[in-house]
Amino acid sequence: MGSTCLMVLLGAIALSSFLFTADPKGTIGVSSIQVFPGNARRYANKNQDFTFVNFNLTADLAPLFNWNTKQLFLYVSAEYENKQGVRNEVVIWDRIVRRKEDAQLNIAGRNKYVFRDLSASFKDAPPAHYSLKYNVMPYVGVLTYGEAARTTDAVPFPERQDLS
Amino acid sequence: MFADELKTLRRLGVRHVLLQILNFVSVLASGLMIWKGLGLITNTESPIVVVLSGSMEPAFYRGDLLFLTNPPNQRYQTGDITVYKIPGADIPIVHRVLETHDLVNKDKDLVAASPLAQKQLLLTKGDNNHIDDIELYQGLEWLERKHIVGKVRGFLPYVGYVTIAMNDFPQLKYALLGGLGLLALVQRE
Repeated sequence: MGSTCLMVLLGAIALSSFLFTADPKGTIGVSSIQVFPGNARRYANKNQDFTFVNFNLTADLAPLFNWNTKQLFLYVSAEYENKQGVRNEVVIWDRIVRRKEDAQLNIAGRNKYVFRDLSASFKDAPPAHYSLKYNVMPYVGVLTYGEAARTTDAVPFPERQDLS
Repeated sequence: MFADELKTLRRLGVRHVLLQILNFVSVLASGLMIWKGLGLITNTESPIVVVLSGSMEPAFYRGDLLFLTNPPNQRYQTGDITVYKIPGADIPIVHRVLETHDLVNKDKDLVAASPLAQKQLLLTKGDNNHIDDIELYQGLEWLERKHIVGKVRGFLPYVGYVTIAMNDFPQLKYALLGGLGLLALVQRE
């Protein structure tokens, strides 16, 4: 009996999340982007291009916090199609926000994770879009996703700079 | 201690005991039906999983319950939390998608019937891990749809801890099963 009552209560809390329909928007811009050669685990011993992105983020995601919000998972994702036509989405940065007070973003960041292409080269790849997305993770209930910002114009990949 | 129960059993007779066994079996069978039915609707082999490790903390802790779906007409996206099973490994892993690469058909004359007819390569990472999962793939370079059990859509904390406790202390499992069985047999109505 007690467990039924608890389940109904949890169900009500989970459903209440659908009443909160905040859709905050912010801005994202790429301040500098560079491509350098290097090698790493994947395709070992093969030279490949690494892209380094510096970006600026501003967004107020506090409205996403309600009584059933446990945390936000924020991530910056690069979206582009490479020369071979492969469509790619690569997360280059992420952050977990656990308190409403920390949800005001004003960040000048750079990629946390390596950004490379399947073909090992960004030469002649069409420009990429960068977007800030979020995953709202509840105490109980359904996980939701959204996009808070997107670059207005696609950002081209620069020529590779050779390290001398 | 059990004298009373034995006496009532004797009084109620064989038919009653058989009926109770039938009841018990039908409860088990409907449980299985619900599980398999859920699996059909959600298109995954296990629609509910229990978190076994801390690699997704602070989002998911050991013992949390996750509800999965695996819609056949949706591609996976970055940020999705997938449950995947590498061939040869027996424990499924719950990690977040870090990279997706949708390949194109090499053959120019072929047109894909749906976006999913094309291969998608995935790379995942645990929120609480510092590096991506390549080391966990046991020699595979990328994950593909065939490795994915489903993606996490719903969350219920702590409840799965019962199963972890039963794995850690097998006596508990037998005690619970035995208790339930006995209860089913001696129940009056």
